[in-house]
Amino acid sequence: MIEIIFIFTLIVSIYMAWNIGANDAANSMATSYGSGALTLKQIIIIAGVLEFLGAFLFGSRVTKTVGKGIVPIELLDQHIIAIGALAAIFSAGLWITIATYFHLPVSTSHSIVGAMLGFGLAAVSENLIPLESIKWDVLNNIVLSWLLSPITGAILAFLIFSLIKFLILSNMDVERVEHIFKYLQVLTACYVAFAHGSNDVANAVGPVSATFGFSEAPSWVLALGGLGIAIGIATWGYRVIETVGKRITELTPTRGFSAEFATATTVLSASYLGMPISTTHTLVGSVLGVGFAGGLASVDLSVVKRIIYSWVLTIPVAAGLTISIYTVLVVFL
Amino acid sequence: MRFIRSIADVFGYSPFKAIHQHSEYIVVAADLLVDQYEAFITGDVEKIASLEKEIDTLEHEADKIKAEIRTHVTKSLRLPVDRHDLLSFLTFQDEIINYIEHICHMFTYRETKEIEKNIEKKFRQLLYMINDIICKYEELIDHVNSLIATSFSKKEITDILLHVNSIEHVEHECDKVQIELHKLLLNSKMDVLDIMLLRNILIHLGEIANSTARAADSFRTMVVGR
Repeated sequence: MIEIIFIFTLIVSIYMAWNIGANDAANSMATSYGSGALTLKQIIIIAGVLEFLGAFLFGSRVTKTVGKGIVPIELLDQHIIAIGALAAIFSAGLWITIATYFHLPVSTSHSIVGAMLGFGLAAVSENLIPLESIKWDVLNNIVLSWLLSPITGAILAFLIFSLIKFLILSNMDVERVEHIFKYLQVLTACYVAFAHGSNDVANAVGPVSATFGFSEAPSWVLALGGLGIAIGIATWGYRVIETVGKRITELTPTRGFSAEFATATTVLSASYLGMPISTTHTLVGSVLGVGFAGGLASVDLSVVKRIIYSWVLTIPVAAGLTISIYTVLVVFL
Repeated sequence: MRFIRSIADVFGYSPFKAIHQHSEYIVVAADLLVDQYEAFITGDVEKIASLEKEIDTLEHEADKIKAEIRTHVTKSLRLPVDRHDLLSFLTFQDEIINYIEHICHMFTYRETKEIEKNIEKKFRQLLYMINDIICKYEELIDHVNSLIATSFSKKEITDILLHVNSIEHVEHECDKVQIELHKLLLNSKMDVLDIMLLRNILIHLGEIANSTARAADSFRTMVVGR
């Protein structure tokens, strides 16, 4: 029985990885397409390879946080963990799909954290673990990292673009500068893809890793997640890259470089700290930072409000869905 | 496209392209005004009427652009210039084409008898100067693109300040011609009603130059005062 649950969990995880590649990875890469630094084909190759490497080489810390950092799985038996993990990944995947359909700026990271919390609460309601055993301190840190990451992205991007502006743009021919930054942007595109893979792979494979009960996430699980993301980019993400890229042509190579460097640095730091943050929200923060530094003709702050609403919505919805699905699964499995 | 999450919404509406387009309408309208004047001199009533219609349409289109900008530049937008500065600058720019439109109607009010040659020439001279100031103005607005590309570099701002100065210079020259024309008109032997009409047109031509200088000035305020 447990094998069947496990296989299901794996399938949903791969779907989640695919979705992350198709949308979040694609959005991060669209900044290099909009500025004309890379062609679509080049982006798909770069993103595929580096998302995979990021996930495989650097994805274990966040995966561990998602898998074992929220629910005290050491207190639960194998069967319950398997059901909980399936319920969590299924709910997160379902919510992401619904939200994507309605163009809500939701985060896969927020969804999976909410879903794992739901699993923990379901276990509490069954009296399997006490409420205090849920790792609230970790959850606190995670929520804090959600607040800090877009702000960090904004500040970094503001500083980087301001430096470019005062040191380079004011002294050199703009067209030449932009041309040079096209090449630099190839590097930041790689940086973003690597950072994104290292952080977001956990949103797909975190629950699976809990099923295993490994102290560290096994590398083949990370590889599978990375592969799912790469396939997501190649099979659907290219369309997202095209659609988004065409709408953000204002992000010239100097602006794109600033936003990407700021985003990748923030996200990679979060991966190092094991914090599952939203790359997309960090990127939005970074673009706003460039805008505040006077680099863009117009940025719309109302997007911040919509992002906050989506946060507030995502956590209870993902948790609630997980509790419901868990309850049903427990009866039948 | 369904099933897409996008960061594109963070990029807000940019009014700068529309502002430039609005200024291009002014250039075309001012150009047509010269043609209309020539038709007025030769007494080509049909041509006067058709040009009136064309200029009127241009003014109407410009109004639409102004309305579009006003609707889209909302509080949630963060622009590289102050929002209020931008909107008040736009009001000044829109005044230029309003004055052009007023004049295009005036040419239809009445068929003049004989216009004295020196007055006819001076009027033509003034119209050419107004065309010149408006072309300079459009070039000024065209700076916006490089201004944004360089993120308001010092060099660009210096260029803009020089440009505004040259517009103010032409405006001053227009004033001088306007004064001369007033003297000529009010001391001429022409039909009194013709003098009245021409004087009215003259005053409005002066307003085109004045409002162009005012718009340039508020453009400078917007760029420098951010």
